[in-house]
Amino acid sequence: MDGELAEALVRSRRFFTRAEVSDDLRTLHRKGGRQADEFYRDRWSHDKVVRSTHGVNCTGSCSWKVYVKDGIITWEAQQTDYPSVGPDRPEYEPRGCPRGAAFSWYTYSPTRVRYPYVRGVLLQMYREAKARLGDPVAAWADVVADPERARRYKAARGKGGLVRASWDEAVELVAAAHVHTIKEYGPDRLAGFSPIPAMSMVSHAAGARFYSLLGGAMLSFYDWYADLPVASPQVFGDQTDVPESGDWWDAGYLIMWGSNLPVTRTPDAHWMAEARYRGQKVVAVAPDYADNVKFADEWLPAQPGTDGALAMAMGHVVLKEFFVDRRTEYFASYVKRYTDLPFLVVLDEAEGDPGTYAPGKFLTAADLGGEAATAEHAEFRTVLLDAATGRPVVPNGTLGDRYGDSGAGKWNLDLGDTDPLLSAEGGGEAPVAVTLPRFDTPDGGAARLRRGVPVRRVAGRLVTTVYDLLLAQYGVAREGLPGRWPSSYEDAAEPYTPAWQAAITGVDAARAARIAREFAANAEESGGRSMIIMGAGTNHWFHSDTIYRAFLTLTTLTGCQGVNGGGWAHYVGQEKVRPITGYSAIATAADWNRPARQMIQTAYWYLHADQFRYDPFSADTLAAGGSGTGPFAGKTTADVIAQSARMGWMPSYPTFDRNPLDLAADAEAAGRPVAEHVVEELKAGRLRFAGEDPDAPENFPRVLTIWRANLLGSSAKGNEYFLKHLLGTDASVRAAEAPPDARPRDVVWREEAPEGKLDLLLTLDFRMTSTTIFSDVVLPAATWYEKHDLSSTDMHPFVHAFNPAIAPPWQTRTDWDAFHTLAEEFSRQAADHLGVRRDVVAAPLLHDTPDEMANPHGRVRDWKAGECEPVPGRTMPKLITVERDYGAVAEKMGALGPLLDTHGATTKGVTFEVGRELEYLRHKNGTVRGGAGDGRPSIARDTHACEAILALSGTTNGHLATQGFHTLEARTGTQLADLAAEHGGKQITFADTQAAPVPVITSPEWSGSETGGRRYSPFTVNVERLKPWHTLTGRQHFYLDHDWIAALGEHLPVYRPPLNMTALFDEPHVGDTGELGVTVRYLTPHNKWSIHSEYQDNLFMLSLSRGGPTIWMSKEDAAKVGVRDNDWVEAVNRNGVVAARAIVSHRMPEGTVYMHHAQDRLIDVPRTETTGRRGGIHNSLTRLLIKPSHLIGGYAQLSYAFNYLGPTGNQRDEVTVIRRRGNQEVTY
Amino acid sequence: MTAPAQHVTLAAETSTGGLLLWVVLPYVCLAVFVLGHIWRYRYDKFGWTTRSSQLYERRLLRIGSPLFHFGILVVLLGHIGGLVIPKSWTEAAGISEHVYHIGAVFLGTIAGVCTLGGLTILIYRRRTVGPVFSATTRNDKAMYVSLTLTIALGLAATVAANTVGGGYDYRETISPWFRSVFYFQPDPDLMTGAPVLFQLHALSALLLFAAWPFTRLVHMLTAPVGYLTRPYVVYRSRDTHLGARAPRRGWERSGT
Repeated sequence: MDGELAEALVRSRRFFTRAEVSDDLRTLHRKGGRQADEFYRDRWSHDKVVRSTHGVNCTGSCSWKVYVKDGIITWEAQQTDYPSVGPDRPEYEPRGCPRGAAFSWYTYSPTRVRYPYVRGVLLQMYREAKARLGDPVAAWADVVADPERARRYKAARGKGGLVRASWDEAVELVAAAHVHTIKEYGPDRLAGFSPIPAMSMVSHAAGARFYSLLGGAMLSFYDWYADLPVASPQVFGDQTDVPESGDWWDAGYLIMWGSNLPVTRTPDAHWMAEARYRGQKVVAVAPDYADNVKFADEWLPAQPGTDGALAMAMGHVVLKEFFVDRRTEYFASYVKRYTDLPFLVVLDEAEGDPGTYAPGKFLTAADLGGEAATAEHAEFRTVLLDAATGRPVVPNGTLGDRYGDSGAGKWNLDLGDTDPLLSAEGGGEAPVAVTLPRFDTPDGGAARLRRGVPVRRVAGRLVTTVYDLLLAQYGVAREGLPGRWPSSYEDAAEPYTPAWQAAITGVDAARAARIAREFAANAEESGGRSMIIMGAGTNHWFHSDTIYRAFLTLTTLTGCQGVNGGGWAHYVGQEKVRPITGYSAIATAADWNRPARQMIQTAYWYLHADQFRYDPFSADTLAAGGSGTGPFAGKTTADVIAQSARMGWMPSYPTFDRNPLDLAADAEAAGRPVAEHVVEELKAGRLRFAGEDPDAPENFPRVLTIWRANLLGSSAKGNEYFLKHLLGTDASVRAAEAPPDARPRDVVWREEAPEGKLDLLLTLDFRMTSTTIFSDVVLPAATWYEKHDLSSTDMHPFVHAFNPAIAPPWQTRTDWDAFHTLAEEFSRQAADHLGVRRDVVAAPLLHDTPDEMANPHGRVRDWKAGECEPVPGRTMPKLITVERDYGAVAEKMGALGPLLDTHGATTKGVTFEVGRELEYLRHKNGTVRGGAGDGRPSIARDTHACEAILALSGTTNGHLATQGFHTLEARTGTQLADLAAEHGGKQITFADTQAAPVPVITSPEWSGSETGGRRYSPFTVNVERLKPWHTLTGRQHFYLDHDWIAALGEHLPVYRPPLNMTALFDEPHVGDTGELGVTVRYLTPHNKWSIHSEYQDNLFMLSLSRGGPTIWMSKEDAAKVGVRDNDWVEAVNRNGVVAARAIVSHRMPEGTVYMHHAQDRLIDVPRTETTGRRGGIHNSLTRLLIKPSHLIGGYAQLSYAFNYLGPTGNQRDEVTVIRRRGNQEVTY
Repeated sequence: MTAPAQHVTLAAETSTGGLLLWVVLPYVCLAVFVLGHIWRYRYDKFGWTTRSSQLYERRLLRIGSPLFHFGILVVLLGHIGGLVIPKSWTEAAGISEHVYHIGAVFLGTIAGVCTLGGLTILIYRRRTVGPVFSATTRNDKAMYVSLTLTIALGLAATVAANTVGGGYDYRETISPWFRSVFYFQPDPDLMTGAPVLFQLHALSALLLFAAWPFTRLVHMLTAPVGYLTRPYVVYRSRDTHLGARAPRRGWERSGT
């Protein structure tokens, strides 16, 4: 005991109690009294546990237990039943983060949308018109046709005034808007936006299917979010395919480059931490002391946006030490077989610089003459030199083998006896100097490098190899070559040495060289197990494709791609719908009509939010040859978009300045085929592309439906331009329109910029967001815990289910139900107003189809400029007539249509025959009776859709996977089907996914293998089974020979600095300090306290974080303008204004501020001093800037596919002026 | 020793006012005090708390809190001595009024200064330490006003009586009145003649008691006195039923 006093006190206890005090005075024994525990027991008791997860694009795709008590969702906890990944490695469980654990707050939160809402002033007008006219469609037409009334309700957007309406009335109004728009302007004036289907694919497919049946445009999201790394199609010919997180464990060397794993990949970060105990070295590259940095063995703090320079210097070291100074056998054999390095490139004499050459096009069989030139698709058969004979060889596996009869069985990477020559050295020709672009000048402008390459003469042409060009580009000197070369690593003047990068990135030269050396040495010793995890920090830049190509050069040179534990691991909003074939068929309504209209969203808003009007520079500003030269001379970005659209490279919806239904009818009336009619009208100039006059009222987007998304609170770069031009309400745009001499040449400039283009903004959501408050109609949606759906991700190899823990409460409905409701009402109204119509769809030239051979050598031919004839499917979009029975849309929604029987379902060029699966679904889901879908398998319910997706995809249906591999084998001539054979009879059902996460099956839909329970890593099938990449050469590309790429000087990996906003927009220089504040880089990285399925407004997250809008600043910048922590600051640039509290942190580097992404304007956003209006969101300071090379199409891997390629909605190059608010008392 | 006549009083003789103030009000307040606690205990058992702010600030609390609490305990004992124990009892024990008075003033002054000093520290802390002030509700503020007022008036009455009049023998008037309330034979006349500061002190105390159950002051009734004598480990036996909870009706064991 603690002394005599204590003992005496305890001894006295017996006088006060009936309980027994033990002799040693240490314990007290009482009888009963445990009823008090019941409260606690009740607190944690529950009636049932339901499996669900969180949807949209939290790539975690963690399975959760949702607890329900008395019909109320109480809390959630991590599921623990992931299948094991095998012995000797950590497991996927535990999986889940604090954000996910906070989600159940939304179910009963004050922000929950419980009932349908309609903008009050609009509803009044509609009711009045309907009472007068008696018909919903006539009533809608009456309201929107009256400029005054239309202006009134549009100007009211975002200013409150949403009133409750019944589902019937809200849906009637929405349906009327759709019917009227289709009738008046055409179905392509409707647009749907819902992102990232992978983590709730049925909810996404619900609306996508509806719009695809109508002929509306579904807007892309991956490129729009700037999450799409354009380098992936450029290099791999594949949309982001990356390792699952379990494969990080396999890596021996791991660089986290602009990816903050513990914050943005929380449930997976444990692999990285654990792998370090296995001996993995972890390096972090980040400008700030980010959360992931503390896990790293080394931190390279490169300045924001300069990562490309660091990677180029590392590439220099790898090339020098592992290729030139010492030939590394593993690397050499890898790059010969799996990359385009040995392929020959024609050198053209440089203009105005005789004796110097410029890299040109790939040498193809067509150039060789003789028999080779007569081969099928000879222009798409690239050539290399055989080391034994020194003769040119056309190897297997080029694009020429992918299509047509002659390539059957030959599309593979089997080189036979050929040993490709990496370098053109030793051919007897004197080396020549080539001119190469550089962009490392202080103002970011273009300059030239002159460096030599060995050459040979083949078929009369001077050629060199990609390898030789790469060495020249990277400045790795060899004996006897002309030009200027770096003298050593310490040579800071010549790109791309370690010392050269130090001046740009701030990273010590010796360290950069050492990390490069370690990375490559590890790859050599481990057979390619060096990995770079790359993230938004490097991917959201205007020139991120060049940054990524510099990264991929590192992983590809070192033989890491297609190896478990190696290669790139791009984790930015990826959206791997593992059961992709079934999902695509349902979402695009490919079972009823093809093709669906799918639009590149960045270009869509660049035009329709009128951001193109504020670009005061021409598209050639960024060209390698400088202003006024090359294919972009005199064109603005809008002109380039229009050109890309009319050449069929990129989609463009609305397509023509006429209703496509009327176009088809006109053709019929003229007795001509529709395509012929359209071409004639275009040539005659009577018909124009809508993108050539986006401000004409007939070309406006009229109806936009958003679900599972928060466009105006999250992704709408140039938010203020959206508010002003698209919505027609108050906005804080401060920029001036382009001066007359900087305006588009081909695209029509209208003096009066339209405001309020959109007639109807419909949002379906379960919470009030920055988007719903601007919407005209808000429909209440079910949360992730209230519906059936499927989830998959590329972070783990499982599919698992969403299930309703409770039925959708109040008047909420699942997306599937809501769109069916809408379809029914639409069909009812449309049966009279529209009936059966024919629609002409202009479809772009598609990747993974023969369309990608439309432009040999990537030469630009513009029919409008008279360079060629407009030929649909070659030099312009394909023109496809689709019959639309508008009265039967609802019936078609709920049934799997007949096109699947006849045409199957196609993914990445592999067509699956699904007759057997449809028969299975007839029994599994039942058949439809009566109507358009009579006798077809039903997908009336969300669970039916889940079953259909699982049955129609190879990853979840072993029969289809095996069949697909057999189909592919016929083309490749290599063995593949055994990869899926172990699961040949396995059909994953929805019930399986409800029981536990189910591992997927290796399938030709993806490039990696899970066979035998191995961890997924991309391109392992390509490497191990010699299956070509979907590129021109069939190999991974270092070199791109398209005209527009050449114009930008990006044939090869190159360093391009962040855009110079001072030069482009006359913004102040970064670091300038004046009375308006300090100028800083403005980045919008991801938030620690929210993710895309669990948002910033969640009370728990607001409590954990500082709450409300915040901007992170460095101590140095704060000191410059007298900001103290938690002061109110205001950030202003030409795009808008933001008011927020400052978080002053030593973590931040000087010259850069962070405003975390998607801080909703509903949470504590005050009025700004600058405008007096409610002060902006993170995107109020950003805007869209489109890189012309992202608009390339119709050429090999540079061909369009939905979310595969398109201009990125990048936003990182922005700057802002930030200052302390004079008045710290804010008002709301 | 009788009180000099110069004391100012609220009412010279029993009136309706006197009846309301010294009969009705005490009973209402005491009823609210008792019933309020019962109500609070039944309906807000988990809200029965001091709402400690030790997490937010401890340096000032470490001085102010014991100073106040021990001071107020002595004050409480003094009130018991002065109000509950009749004068005749102390005199019977040989303690003269003078001796009593000296003792009361001496102890009372120390305790009063401690209490008031502690309270001042606590209020200063509550107002100036940001997190503590943020955690202060309107209820708390009202309670602080009421508590401080009562203590200040009590101290003022004592000081005034001793400095101006050389002492006031409340044991002739206030104490019998106090006891009369509990005998259920309330005699308001005893109070009507008391000095106004004493009257105000009594009134403010009554109002404080009425507010008591609805404030954090409830912690007084549950001060962990038992910990003084409790062994470290407490075992409670299981109840006879299976599981941790009493079976619901219809689910009892069948008794086989």
